[in-house]
Order: sequence, then structure tokens, then C-alpha cells
Amino acid sequence: MKNLIYKDTRNYSPIDVTKGVDLLTGKIVMADNTAPENYELRPKCKFCQNYKEENEFNGECEASMSDPKFFAYGDMDSVTCGMYKQIN
Amino acid sequence: MAKKLKEVLDDAGISMDLQYGGESPEGLTEREIKKSPHPRVQKLKDIFMDTLSSANNEFPYWYTREYMMHDNEIPVVRRAKALRTAFSHLTPVIFPGELLVMRKASFFRGSFPMPWLSEGFYMAHEDDFYQEALKRGSASVDEHSKFGQGGGNVTKSFGKVISIAGKFGMRQEEVPALLKLAKMWAGKSVDDLGNKYEKMVPEYPVKEQIMRSIVCMFDSGFTLPQGREVINYYYPLEYGFDGIIKMATELKAEVAGKADGDGMVGMNRLYNYEAVIIALQGVQNWIANYSKEARRLEKLTTDKIQKKEYKEIADRLDWIEHNPPRTFIEALQMIETIHLAVLNEDAISGMSPGRIGQILYPYFEQDIEAGRITEDEVIELLELDRLVKTSIDCFASTGVVGGVLSGNTFNTVSIGGVDRFGQSAVNRLEYLILEAAVRNAMPQSTIALLYDEKIPEDFLMLAMDVIKSGAGYPAFMNSPIAQEFLMKQYGPEGMNLEDARAWAIGGCLETSPCAWKPLHLNGKEYFIPGGAGQPTSVGVHFISMPKVLELTLFNGVDPRTNEKVYEPHNRKLNSYDEVWDQFTKYWQKSVEVLAWTNNIQHDIWRKNNMAVINSLLKPDCLDNGHLINELGYRYNGTFNIESAGTITLVNSLAALKKLVFDDKVVTLAKLKEAIKDNFGFKDAREVNSFSLADQEKRDDSAGKWEELHFKTLQAPKYGNDDKYADEILLQWENFFCEDSSKYESLYGLKMYPCQISVSTHGAMGSATLATPDGRLSGTTFADASMSAYPGTDRNGPYALLNSATIWDHSKSQNSQLNIKIHPTAVRGIEGSRKLLDLTRAYMRKGGFHVQYNIVDSKVLKDAQLNPKNYRDLMVRVAGFTQYWVEIGKSVQDELISRTEYEGV
Ligand code: SF4
Repeated sequence: MKNLIYKDTRNYSPIDVTKGVDLLTGKIVMADNTAPENYELRPKCKFCQNYKEENEFNGECEASMSDPKFFAYGDMDSVTCGMYKQIN
Repeated sequence: MAKKLKEVLDDAGISMDLQYGGESPEGLTEREIKKSPHPRVQKLKDIFMDTLSSANNEFPYWYTREYMMHDNEIPVVRRAKALRTAFSHLTPVIFPGELLVMRKASFFRGSFPMPWLSEGFYMAHEDDFYQEALKRGSASVDEHSKFGQGGGNVTKSFGKVISIAGKFGMRQEEVPALLKLAKMWAGKSVDDLGNKYEKMVPEYPVKEQIMRSIVCMFDSGFTLPQGREVINYYYPLEYGFDGIIKMATELKAEVAGKADGDGMVGMNRLYNYEAVIIALQGVQNWIANYSKEARRLEKLTTDKIQKKEYKEIADRLDWIEHNPPRTFIEALQMIETIHLAVLNEDAISGMSPGRIGQILYPYFEQDIEAGRITEDEVIELLELDRLVKTSIDCFASTGVVGGVLSGNTFNTVSIGGVDRFGQSAVNRLEYLILEAAVRNAMPQSTIALLYDEKIPEDFLMLAMDVIKSGAGYPAFMNSPIAQEFLMKQYGPEGMNLEDARAWAIGGCLETSPCAWKPLHLNGKEYFIPGGAGQPTSVGVHFISMPKVLELTLFNGVDPRTNEKVYEPHNRKLNSYDEVWDQFTKYWQKSVEVLAWTNNIQHDIWRKNNMAVINSLLKPDCLDNGHLINELGYRYNGTFNIESAGTITLVNSLAALKKLVFDDKVVTLAKLKEAIKDNFGFKDAREVNSFSLADQEKRDDSAGKWEELHFKTLQAPKYGNDDKYADEILLQWENFFCEDSSKYESLYGLKMYPCQISVSTHGAMGSATLATPDGRLSGTTFADASMSAYPGTDRNGPYALLNSATIWDHSKSQNSQLNIKIHPTAVRGIEGSRKLLDLTRAYMRKGGFHVQYNIVDSKVLKDAQLNPKNYRDLMVRVAGFTQYWVEIGKSVQDELISRTEYEGV
């Protein structure tokens, strides 16, 4: 994974919807700016094999136990989702 | 150029002086006391100052996903399962330098919507449900509520950030998910279900009109169903989370299948204990996720000190996930965690920590004795605690969070008071709480000093220094008066003097019932106070007294909208007594219909959305197996009726009595004509200023109402120790305090009066025409309930205190007096002494509450013009302190115009 933006990396702690702390440099950075190449991918639904995208922002979680499957949204953090499987 | 009222009065030789006791010095006067926080705290505070209120969907997403899977589950268990899943999925965020961790949502200043309470206003404007919400009267309040445009408020969308409810920023990527979640709750939320059933109250149309005309400010059942209460940290501190789960598991086995003589809800104890266990597992998972994150960061960082701190954070979290805390820092982290857990369970404003100096004292005392911590380290932690508390946002609609609360969350800490035996409860830790509050002056936690004659003098003098820092806290609350009120209200539920002494402030200045519990630490027993009562944010909230008078004068029709609010009374109103009588009849009609409809909303809340976590903390839920919805709390008679605009009403009645009925200088018909014509002035919104002095004359008015307007302004006014006006206050208080107990809450208990107006005097003033006291259309009412109207208290502060204490304050949950003083008037030790004398005089006369703004009005004017230079300026609004830049313009204008005392 190259050219991740900060808010899609795990080396970033979000202060608010626009910015956060770069955990490696300690600097405050903008959420949508491109992070350095080696920064680790942040688990999010949009990076999960169980995520079936339906439109730009929303999709379905194939791992959901409900019928029909519960929706998911691509930008949701999945750090705590036990069913997260990273796409290759 | 249109003339301002002040100029019109100057021309006529009438003074409208907003200063009393001399002239303030030229130039801008700074506050006398200024201190800085520890460097670590300052660094984090700098981040806070540049942080936007942010919201995301993580919690509501997982809550909804789980909840929707359990259609046939017992409601309390279904809710607990949803809570467990939501807590377990909150993404942990930890920032370098923090010692106390965990946040409401995954931002430094984050929160989230709860569509299960109310989903309508999250939806896009074109959405059918939103339109339906707009048709409901309760939506109209948003039009009259404006947040401050600065600070962390996201009042407008920008870039990829969408402004939600006028305050919170949400990433554009998340908005479609929010709408999807909101739609899932349509027809199921407390708001929707409540509305379905409240319509069955025959008088419902009156309620809708009351809300539309802003006679009442908000529905408490689905906006903020809990809060303005004192939390209780005792059980986790004494037993730890594992201990509580063990206790609930054993009790579950004991009660399974047994009614034990209670055929109604005896069997529910089984499900309640099950729910307690499930919800706590969620909290434990949440803590564990933070611990994992701290360990990840420990590996990630190369800074040795930071590495060590991350490790210690993780160790602490691992311990408190299961066990009772052993040290001061563990105890502080634990109560921080519990506090946030409760705030995440429901939309809550005013979950007050209570007397934390006394709750944490055992850990403080033993750590200091053992040399495990220094006082300086304790102060640093207390400074950090203020940062955590100020970062808490409450997510609700614009009307509620802006118009009522000015964005405030009222995490009030109480200090002082007395112990179980009636002796001063002040301890060393409370001195440090005051010290931290000056060093890290931030709006939260605001501080309430529970005044008793036995409180040490040096403690009171220290409190004066804190007030002089300009923080607006501590406010002074009269402890004996509060205890008298509590004994009267909660006596029927078993309140005794010992429990009454445990009281604390819940919310901004709500006297809240508490209880003592024995805490054990290393073989030593300490009795600590904590909340034992239901929320006091519930009941009939904010009835605009001047608006009810307006409707009385205009035969039940709102002259602003021409809509009928009440049935016409068709009375001639030939005497003051007739006006008064009709006013009380409309008042009672409002309270009655609002009590019934709010009871239904709260009943829906308790059936589907009951508090599980907050309940398990409160005595005596764990003992009796019943949560809040089954009267499990020790004290349940907390529903109340809130008034707004007291002094504007009193002054208006005084002017009517004097000018129309006693002196007969004008007929009622003529006065009404003048009111409708706004005495020849423009409306405040047109002028874009909400203080009286700045109002502009209309070009077409030709001085038609000038003389009459002068007379109304010069009629007797409250705050001057003038019996003519003050006896009207007495008449009102005697009526209100007795009348309130005639209404019953859904719990079958009588209500009581509550006299805080928070920020409603701005929004409600905005929807009210000119009043007979000469106030003009759209301008604010007098603030609080005992404050004089700006510029009308002409006989000095002691005369104001006499006016305020003409009635018995123990008949009400509270009353509120705000006084603004120029910093030079209280400079030095001599100044502190004068301020204490003034405060003490009020307490001795039986006043319940007083608080001070020590500020130069010129600084406030400058801050309004140049907000960028004043990001950290704080002011006391009404029972709370807030950043100047985060409050709306109408309340800013009112703060500027409050009478400034140049001497006391
Ligand atoms: S399994 Fe988890 S991370 Fe993957 S799509 Fe579902 S919710 Fe998102």
C-alpha cells in the first residue's frame, strides 16, 4: 500500500475531523495529507475482505450475522473489529 | 443613522448606566490572578484550543447493528447487549503526554449521535422524516438558538467536513451512514414513539402550540433524558468491575424465578442483573482496547520517557479493568473511565462528579503518607482532569445544546459542605482542586462551593482568589438551605439528615440527593458521598414566564405569529389581581400539559432506553435488583418544573400594576398597542444586537411611544430593595413553589420548582415581544432567576441581596444570582475580603446561590469585535463557565450589558 493519507494509517491519532498527531514524529498533521510511504495501514472496512462496496461511501458487511446482511461504511475504523480481514 | 435607545434616553436626560458605584478605569483591565498549568498540560491544552468538536458513527453503528439483531429479547437485556457491542468497538485514541486516558469517541474532542433517542434532525432536509420533525413544534426552537462562531464549534460545513446540528463536524464520508442509521430508528426512537403516544393526551394541540411559540424550550424525554445529577463512583472503587460482576452473578442466582412479594416487577431483577453483567463486560472490553493501544504505542515510540508512560498507562488500565484501584492515579483513571462510560450510555448534560475531593481523599491521604505521590504531581493530574472534562461534548440538537446549554456539559465538582456529623468536610485535596482550577482555568469542571459557616476561612479566601482569576468559579451554594429543601422533597422517600448532608450539585446548580457509603482502603474505612438520585434534568423544562404574560395580555394568541396558543380567556383584565389570576391559569395549563406529555416521553425512554450503567452505580440498585426505571434509586422524586425570565416577569408585572392600575397613566389597551409596535423600535434581530441599550429607533416611529416607554423603564424594578417590585417576586415564589408540588411525575412522585434558566433567556427573549417593563422585542430577558435586569439595580449590591432574599429559598431546588464586578473593585486581599463579606451576607440572609464575573465589560466588548485575540477568555454565563467565543451573540450581548459594579 502506497500513498496512504494520514487518516488511513495507524501512525496517526485523530484530534478532530481535520487533523491528528503523527505518532512517529509527534507533529500535528492534516488528515487528508499524504503520509510517508512506510506508514502502516489502518484497519478500516474499506480495506477488509468482508466489505462489499455498494456506493462511494457505503457497502455491506459480509461477516454480519443478520439477514439481510447489515450495512457497513468504508471509512469506519476496524481496529476493534474481530472479523476484519485485510485485503491483499 | 437610527438612534440607539441609550442615545434617546441621554437626550431625555435619563440615565441608562450599566455601571454602578463609580467609573471603571480607562483602557482594558486584566484580571488580577493569572497562573499557568504544568508544561505537559499546557501542551495538551494548546491542542485542545485548536480542536474542533467532532462526531463519528462508530458507537451508533455498532449499537444499532447489535440492537436490531435481538427483536424478541427482554428490553433491558437487548439494550445491554447493544451497549456492550458499542463499547467493545470504540477505537482507542491516546495522545502523547497524556497520563489520564480514554475519550468519549475516537477524537480528542469527540462525540456521536444517538438516533435511538431522536433521529429526525440528522436527516437531510428533503427527507420525509426530517420534514415531519420540522412540523412538530419542538423543532422551532432551533431558529432562535445560535452557537458562538468561534472556538471548537463547527457552525458551517467546509471542505470534507459537514456541520451537524450547528456545532459538530462530521466527515463527509460518514454522513450517508448517519442517514442510514437514522432511518433505521424512524418510528422506533424515543422521540417518535413518544410523539405517537403523547398525541393521545387530549390537550396535545396546546403542547404543540406551546413549543412552536417557545413558551417552553424543550422536551426532556428524548433530548437529554439523564443528567443534572451526581454520579456515584463508589461500587467500582470499592469492589472493582470484577467484584460487581461477581456480586450481580450471585444475586442473579438468588432471585431467579422469584417475585419475593412483588408481583409487578419482582421477577425483573433477574434480567436487570443479567443486563448489568453484560453492560459491564462492554466497559471492560473498552478499557482493554485502550490498554492494547497503549502497549502498541509503547512499542512504536522511541522516546524513553514516553515509552515508560505508555507502559504505566497500560498497566493501570489492566488493573482497573478488573480490580478496585490502589492508588490516587488509579482511582482518578477509574472515575474518569466510569464518567465517560455513563456519558456514552445516553445523551446526558450535567453528569456531575460531585465531591471528588472527598471521594478521592483516601487514596490521596495514603499515597502522600507513603511518599508515592507529591502534591505537585496531584495538581498536575487534577489539571489534566480539567482538560479531559472540558473535551467532553454532548451531542444533541442545536436548540438544546446551543440555545439552552451554550455548548456546556456541566461536569460540576462540589467542594466543601459538611460530613456525616455536620462538621466541615473540607480536606487538603480540595485546596489542591482549587489550585489546579486556577492553574488550568478551563470551563470544566466548574466548581460549586457548598457553603457552611464551619468552612475554614483560609479555604474561603483561596476560593476568592480563584474567582478573581476570572474563571467564574467557584459558585457559592448554601448548604443548610439545600439540606432543608432535600428533607422536604425526599423526606417521604426516607431522606434523613445524614443523607441530606451528603448532597452535591448535579449540573450547574441543581441541589441533588446523595448518600454516604463506606470505602475501604488498606484496612481503613472512609465514608464517601455520591449521587443517589435520579436525573434532575427531567420534567417540564423552561417555561418562559414573560411569554405566558404576553399570552395573558393578548387573550391566548401569540402576537408574533398570530397563532392561538391557549383557549381565549375573554376577560377584561380590569385589575392587577385579574391579570395575575389569568397569568397563573395559563401557567398551570402549560405545566399540566407539558407534564403529561413529558411523562409519556420518559415512560417510553424507561421502557426501551433505560440507564443500565448509570443505574448500577447508584444506591440502591445493585442491592434491590431494580434499575432507574423500576425506582431502584434511593431517591426518585427528581422531576421538576423550570422557570425562565423570572425578573423580566416581576418587572413587567410591577410596571403594569403601577402604570395601568395604580397610577392609571396608561390604559392596558394603549400599553398593548405600544408593545405590539415595540415602542417604536426595530426588532433586535434586525439590529443584530440583543441588549436593550443598543436597540435602534425606527424612522417611522416619530416619538409616538417615547414618553410611555420612558415611564415603563422608570417603573419600579426588582433589585433595589424596593418592596413594590420585590413583593411581586414574593407573590410569584409563593405561588410557584406551592403549585409545583401539584404535578406528578411518571414515577408517581410530586414535582418541585427549579429556577435556573441556563442560556434560555437569550433564545426565549428572541421569541418574545416587548414587555411592559420597557424591554424591547427580541432582546434577552434578565439572566438567571435572582439577577437584576441589566442597568436597573441602582442601589448597590447589598440592596440587590435584600431583594433576592424576600422569599424562602429552601422552598425551591435552587435559585440563581449572577453579579458582575470590575476587577479593580476587588483587587488585593482587601478586595477578596470585601467579596467574601458580600457572599457571606447573602448566605446568611438565606440566599441559595451567588456567582461572580470578575471582568471589565470593555474587555468583553473588545472580545466581541476581535474574537481571534480571545480564544481562552472565559466568562460565567448562568451556573457555568464557558469560552467567550463558544457562546451565541444574544448571550454575549446580555453579558456585556449586565450591570458592572465598580465597588462592593
Ligand atoms: S468484518 Fe468488520 S471490518 Fe470487515 S466489513 Fe465487517 S465490520 Fe467492517
